Amino acid sequence: MRKKLTVIPERCSGCRVCELVCAISHAGVNNPKKANIRVISLYPHPVIKMPVVCDQCKKPKCRDACPTDAIVITDGVVTILEDRCISCHACVSACPIGAIFVHEDIETPFKCDMCGGKPKCVAACPKKAILYVPEHTLGQAHRLASALQYANMQEVEYYEHGVKKKLRYAEIETGGTRGDSK
Amino acid sequence: MNIKGGYFMKVLHVDLTECKTHVEEVDEEFALKYIGGRGWGARLVWENMKEDTDPLTPENIIVIAPGPLSGLYLPSSGKTSFCSISPTTGIYGDSNIGGMFGVELRQAGFDAVVIKGKAPELSYLWIDDDDVQLKSAGKYAGMGSIETEHLLREDLGDETVKVATIGPAGEKLARMACITADWGRNAGRTGMGAVLGSKNLKAIAIRGTKDLPVADLPRLTLASDKAYRKLSGHNLFEFWQRQGLMSVIDYANTAGIIPVHNFKDTHFEEADKINGDVMELEYKIGDTACFGCPMACGNVNLVKDGKYAGTVIEGPEYETAAMFGSNVGISDFAAILRANYLCDEYGIDTITAGSLISVMIEAYEKDLVTLEELDGMALTWGDDESIMEMIRKIAFREGVGDTLAEGAYGVIKRWPQLAPIINHVKGLDQSAYDARVAMTMALGYATSDIGAHHARAWPIAKELEMGANWNLNDKAELVIYHQTVRPLFDMLGVCRLPWIELGFDENTYAEFFSATIGIEFTLEELLKLSNDVYNLTRAINIRLGLVRDDDRPPDRVFNDPIKTGPHAGKVLNRDEFKEILDIYYQRRGWDMDGIPTDETLKASGLEDAIEYMVPKRKVK
Repeated sequence: MRKKLTVIPERCSGCRVCELVCAISHAGVNNPKKANIRVISLYPHPVIKMPVVCDQCKKPKCRDACPTDAIVITDGVVTILEDRCISCHACVSACPIGAIFVHEDIETPFKCDMCGGKPKCVAACPKKAILYVPEHTLGQAHRLASALQYANMQEVEYYEHGVKKKLRYAEIETGGTRGDSK
Repeated sequence: MNIKGGYFMKVLHVDLTECKTHVEEVDEEFALKYIGGRGWGARLVWENMKEDTDPLTPENIIVIAPGPLSGLYLPSSGKTSFCSISPTTGIYGDSNIGGMFGVELRQAGFDAVVIKGKAPELSYLWIDDDDVQLKSAGKYAGMGSIETEHLLREDLGDETVKVATIGPAGEKLARMACITADWGRNAGRTGMGAVLGSKNLKAIAIRGTKDLPVADLPRLTLASDKAYRKLSGHNLFEFWQRQGLMSVIDYANTAGIIPVHNFKDTHFEEADKINGDVMELEYKIGDTACFGCPMACGNVNLVKDGKYAGTVIEGPEYETAAMFGSNVGISDFAAILRANYLCDEYGIDTITAGSLISVMIEAYEKDLVTLEELDGMALTWGDDESIMEMIRKIAFREGVGDTLAEGAYGVIKRWPQLAPIINHVKGLDQSAYDARVAMTMALGYATSDIGAHHARAWPIAKELEMGANWNLNDKAELVIYHQTVRPLFDMLGVCRLPWIELGFDENTYAEFFSATIGIEFTLEELLKLSNDVYNLTRAINIRLGLVRDDDRPPDRVFNDPIKTGPHAGKVLNRDEFKEILDIYYQRRGWDMDGIPTDETLKASGLEDAIEYMVPKRKVK
């Protein structure tokens, strides 16, 4: 079973622990700017915090852009072969999500290698915002959200032993289509 | 000794008058004696100061100092201190900030920045690794903190640049002006924003790429892996992520220590409208954390409807929610968010602003000021619109706001009749914990080296737990212990919340420090150094004219019994306070005038301070 890294931005607090553990294990230094994962924080319109990490595309644009065939897929991991790489940074520009990084101390671009199947960032994330899941489950969160949206969730407030509580329930109109609920 | 990590051993000196910068090597003895952060800051302030240093003149310096643990892989390592002589109090002041700013400074290769002089025009400092430039900030004049940060990033063409800035209040030298970074994280107290304003320095932008030096990275990583696991295993960990310090509202209200109507009362009937649950269910849209912090105590909130719709802000935490909630009689959480937003954008401290506005409401209620003196605003408890207007007036120094911007001393100077109702120590307004229920809290406020702030000592919970009837010796000892261990976090450049809130073992910090610098230190040795710095800040204050009479809690603590709630009728006794202050001085090794004795200073390695320990009264 092949697994993939995926992120849930709404859980991310922007603490950058993922950057730290990644840099320490891969570059051997305490320097978040040498990590293979980066947290982007935007504020206030909109408020977004998102870890950016390689999707391990099966038809990677970085590989297509590479003039020296230095990018290959090995066991599902998109890998930069340092001895072939000329450090032209074409892959850095080609990646649609910006998940290939450079640093002046390091000769060639670097990216996520999924830690050989035990990603450190996933284990370290205090908000469980980075997941390592079987490939076939990708998109499940969106499917779930879509289903919940159709379900037209309602809230009622009630009191139990004097404490205000909320109960959520689904109000499904008969005869509607998925689009109606939006 | 041979330091192998933790420090770059470099301090960046910026002379704004001369538009010059230079880098000074730090010697090992200095580094290890004062550790970093507030310790380094206090020492550098000491070396620069004179007996008559005016905080808002070019001669005063401001030190920006993260610590040797800032930016490292260990829980909550994002803290940075700003140290100077405070325009709020006229004595030593420091305030620290979380977020990412100090980490970036360290990545640029500097352990600290010392800023002196005054720029010829409004400027900002741009530190791009080794490349340091002073640039015009004319374009950002009068601009709010959040907007400035946003635009500076855009102008520098990099969204990841870290920025600390002042708002219009800092430019106008409001004495409670703060320094804001990472969109609404504030070095709030003691008026550090006014110091930057007096130097014509609008902002500091930083981008750094360097490795942070660590002597034994595998050892640090091992200790930190364990530390993160320990914290995330705590039963309150997830609750903390959800509500952060907002959970304190319910605690403080139930315990009867929340400020209500300018600290007249300590129980707020409508606390359940401004508590952590309301925030979480109705307003919260996201979490924020400082660098390396698993606890993510920051809450981003959005007002979705009503007259404050569209207000987005990181915050409030407990202090702001109490000072702009119960303390001014506001029970609408959206209004608290608005007040928080305005204070952050204008760049003023929410505690001092909330305190002084509540003073003016009480003053008007008691006919101590006239309607004309309030610019025609009939202030009443809970009137959110006039409270928002007061915030604006303070920031822009308009009408009555011009007086409030002068801080507690300025207000007393204009209206001496308000002295008994202003809850301050040494000119710094009291934090949102009433001291009438706990002698230790009163002593903590009274003897805090920066004025009435809870950062140095927060013994109130312990005293409530123990009950009031334990002996004064133990109470004094508890306050001193707090004042020793809590500032240590500010020296190391880390946050104390994992320790306070989730019971994290303080001995671990000795392990972090030893692994980082490559020299073995025990917690006791670190605490000794923290105590030495407390004697140093005391020496600074004595040199600036502090006397025993300044070490007293606000008058209300003795004069006005609590009205309602679990502690109704409670008030502290002046004689008992005098007694505990004597004990406190004695245990600190200070004489009965509160001056550190020669022996104490020698034991703290502060022989050079002895000649300055002459009592004198500074006119305030």
